[in-house]
Amino acid sequence: MINEQEKKYQLSRRNFLKAGVAASAMGVIGAIAAPAKVANAAGASLKYTAATKGQWSKLHPEHDYGSATVRFVESNDQWLGTTKIVGKVKNFSEADMGFNLATRGLLPNKKTQAASLSFFFRHPFGAAIANAGMFVAPPAAVEGKPSPKKLEIPDPEQMSQHIKDAAYFLRADEVGIGKMPEYAYYSQKLTDKAGLMTKPVEECVIPVTERLPYVIVVMVDQNLQTMLGSTGYDGISGAMSMKSYHATGNIAVILATYIRSLGYNARANHAFNYNAVMPPAVISAGLGELSRTGDCSIHPRLGFRHKVAAVTTDLPLAPDKPIDFGLQDFCRVCKKCAENCPNQSITYDSDLVEYNGYLRWNSDMRKCAEFRILNEDGVSCGRCMKVCPWNSKEDSWFHQAGTWIGSKNGASAKLLKTIDDMFGYGTESIDKYRWWLEWPEMYKYPAVAQAPQTH
Amino acid sequence: MGTFLIFLAGVLFLAGILFIKPRAKREQMWKTVVNWALFVIWYGITWMGISFVYINASVGHVKATSTAIFLFLGISVVLAVVQARLLGFIGVKKAGNTGELQA
Repeated sequence: MINEQEKKYQLSRRNFLKAGVAASAMGVIGAIAAPAKVANAAGASLKYTAATKGQWSKLHPEHDYGSATVRFVESNDQWLGTTKIVGKVKNFSEADMGFNLATRGLLPNKKTQAASLSFFFRHPFGAAIANAGMFVAPPAAVEGKPSPKKLEIPDPEQMSQHIKDAAYFLRADEVGIGKMPEYAYYSQKLTDKAGLMTKPVEECVIPVTERLPYVIVVMVDQNLQTMLGSTGYDGISGAMSMKSYHATGNIAVILATYIRSLGYNARANHAFNYNAVMPPAVISAGLGELSRTGDCSIHPRLGFRHKVAAVTTDLPLAPDKPIDFGLQDFCRVCKKCAENCPNQSITYDSDLVEYNGYLRWNSDMRKCAEFRILNEDGVSCGRCMKVCPWNSKEDSWFHQAGTWIGSKNGASAKLLKTIDDMFGYGTESIDKYRWWLEWPEMYKYPAVAQAPQTH
Repeated sequence: MGTFLIFLAGVLFLAGILFIKPRAKREQMWKTVVNWALFVIWYGITWMGISFVYINASVGHVKATSTAIFLFLGISVVLAVVQARLLGFIGVKKAGNTGELQA
């Protein structure tokens, strides 16, 4: 009797295998479904459903890199994306940036000192945008204490998607999240720009002590048609920068305020109030690679034609990885920006040089600042942006094919550059897009310093 | 306009097939394949050029438009002549004339 009962519970080898396969299949299905369910359970009261794993965001399920072939790379103590770190990268003082060196009278052409305070305000339209940007410049707008009560938020991956969606909702063209490189922070922040002309620099700066683990970078296009119509250094050039600075600044301020209201630290960094240098943050957030200009990054779809702002934060986020779309090989052979730079500030060298503990092209930031301040054909300059093969075109199948080819290797980059030159892209100004007004008499630099006219 | 051009490309592709069909088939298989392959390549390059010129002209890239007209039109004409010769539209003496001369 007992033997019969035991037999009942015994499995044949065939049935045992069947049961094993069924259990494994259920386990796999359960494992696949579990993260979303667990995450949903964690944020049930938020009424937030998880997006598919690996999705960029809900509003932009995939990051639009154009047609470039993009690889994801690492940031560690030897590399920041495709930028090689060869030593200690020292934090930079904001007072040592190009325009501020001019205000301090440290650029070779002393005329830059008087002109440096007001050059962006020489065109009424650019000045109007810059004035609007000043509204989000005060410390009260960019920083503050977080709410004492931490609100419930979903897991870091979902929170990252949510923050990206919030940025897209606020009209960012691109957004990325990175680990904030410690060396991207300024060592000292400028608090009295006009004071640089008369006071010792120490009296015009304060130390930057903030160190937050993550950076959210938002990017806004400077407008393709306007760029196609512009020479790159005419009256609208400054306004193009200001337009994107203003837009990204507003987005960053809103995001930082939002994050602080969730109970986490957040600080907006934008052109009207920086705490950090932007290119390392851009690279870390997977939004570009360092270019031949030495201090500007290029996005695979937007090229140079953008400005960024950033939010540094300790909000739990899942950072993106830096990208490699072949720009180092491309910039090595292209040199179109160097050929077209009106002040020859961009190097023709093929090899990188060591600069402040990392490798970059040896372009002359001082000459660049000097030209932008003293330019009498317009306001500032973005000629390198205008001519760069990565961003000088409209969206079309042949430009898509071109950037796909250009992102392959050095030889294909040379081919793209040759074709780009053959068809005259980037160097023409298309009259039908010249919608702005020019007042050349206003572009003359002042003999004595003038404070910008803010209203 | 762009939609119309795509429609036109499709219609003309079919019309082209009907037009060359009687002359494309040859005794040697490889010659038939060459005729059809050349037609597809010629047609593709021609419409690639038309698309390139159309987009660049509408955006306002003057140099790109003019360069593309010469480049793509040139390639298109050369391929068209080669194909017309292979299909016997040009460069082949009529059999009847030859007979009259002999008589």
